[in-house]
Amino acid sequence: MAESERDPSATVAPESYESAVERLEQIIDRLDSGQAGLRETLELCREGRDLVTYCAGELDEVGESLKELRLDELAAKLDQGQLETD
Amino acid sequence: MGEELAPQRVTLPGPFAVGRYARKLEEEMRRRARVSLIGEVTGLSRSKAQAYFELRDAEGAIPCAIWLNDLEKLELPEQGLRDGTEVVIGGGPDYYRGGAQASPSFYFRATHIRLAGEGDLLARLEALRKQLRAEGLFELQGRLSRPLLPKTIGVVTAESGAARRDLLAGLERRGWRGTVIWAFAPVQDRHAAPAIAAAIQDLAARPEVEAIVVTRGGGSLADLWAFCDETLCRTVAMLRVPVISAVGHERDSTLIDDVAAVACSTPTHAAEATVPLDAAAARSSLERSLGILQRAASGAVGGRTPHLVSLARGPGRALGRERLALNQKTREMRAASERGLAERLGFQRRLATVVLERAARRAAGPEMERRREGLHRAAVALRAHEPERTLERGYALVEGEDGEPLATAAEARAAEVVKLRFADGRVRARPERDGGA
Repeated sequence: MAESERDPSATVAPESYESAVERLEQIIDRLDSGQAGLRETLELCREGRDLVTYCAGELDEVGESLKELRLDELAAKLDQGQLETD
Repeated sequence: MGEELAPQRVTLPGPFAVGRYARKLEEEMRRRARVSLIGEVTGLSRSKAQAYFELRDAEGAIPCAIWLNDLEKLELPEQGLRDGTEVVIGGGPDYYRGGAQASPSFYFRATHIRLAGEGDLLARLEALRKQLRAEGLFELQGRLSRPLLPKTIGVVTAESGAARRDLLAGLERRGWRGTVIWAFAPVQDRHAAPAIAAAIQDLAARPEVEAIVVTRGGGSLADLWAFCDETLCRTVAMLRVPVISAVGHERDSTLIDDVAAVACSTPTHAAEATVPLDAAAARSSLERSLGILQRAASGAVGGRTPHLVSLARGPGRALGRERLALNQKTREMRAASERGLAERLGFQRRLATVVLERAARRAAGPEMERRREGLHRAAVALRAHEPERTLERGYALVEGEDGEPLATAAEARAAEVVKLRFADGRVRARPERDGGA
């Protein structure tokens, strides 16, 4: 059984939602090819589960409640902060 | 006759009497060709006899004056001549040499003024468009990568307006509840373009802002003219944060649409383009998928006792049987691959990606529908490949003492002790040294 094409980045956290989904698709492609060996299959499944967990986490971050801020107020706060530290 | 001027010791003709020189200048100015000019009226004021203003565009300005008598004859609409209006004026340069009590001044003496029509504006827009396109400014924003799921977005719009409400409704429909930073600005008058440009730059300066929406409702081209401002459009083009424009309605085409990363016809579409992922759909799909994966991973509780007993009697035989079963599974998977199943799936995905990328430039809705489906498909496919699923069907996995899978007979033979992993647990076994194929 071939043990090739093991991704060295497998344990690195994804940079973004996009890259997580992209990697997930790669994993499926590899699994679909039927060429993944036993160890690789185990690793890919673990990585796949981690990616799904990561995506869910990203969704949670924009799932609580809409926060509305005003640029002019943020700028005023910044100015005030600078004055206080001066 | 010549005059030496210290300290540079430059020799020039003269000195002439200034009044005479002023009269010559006046004559020369008035001889220049009469032309018509187009630009924006700024700084309008009136004296008893004349109206004064500057005619301005991004490159420069000319001070202008028109006799009130001439102005009245033109019968411009009420409030037609005011700051911020685009006008076409006819006339020529004039120099007033002043008098005993009056100061000299230079003006473009207008004799005709008309409000710029759609045609004038379109012609100017076309010229600007050509220039900016030639400079490659239309492609810069398009090359920026847009986040699928931004956490913070900036929005430039009027504080009171339907566009603001529509955008919020669009984001809500997307199931997106991140952070919106509002940068309110006038969206129609001579202060609009510089205020919008400043707001965009301030938003882009905040590191958390991942995309910027610029939006306002529909109107005539003159109403939307601020969004054709050259300086504003150059600012947008050079920005490192993607800008999504939704100015006017479907048929309105402003210059900011050309330079922005994405141009949308309505604020609702802008919401979809800014948050390409339908968070609501993706969330429910992920939750479902995660549940499936967790169930698969935890393993099913099943009656494996007879199998265990037989294994306890003859680990070597059991090993051979399991190997045969695993080989059979491998052959089945290879056969499927040879039938082109994998290739077809791969091709379909690549095709879908190309189609999705194209679709994303118009409206992000269909793309996200596909992505959501893709994610669900991915989770289902993952599940099919989970080794635990195979174990549930009665297969066993051979592991070394350290839990690492032993994939070959040679590895199993070499091991002192092996562990047979079933869906419901592990069994330790000792391979017979002469055991084998």
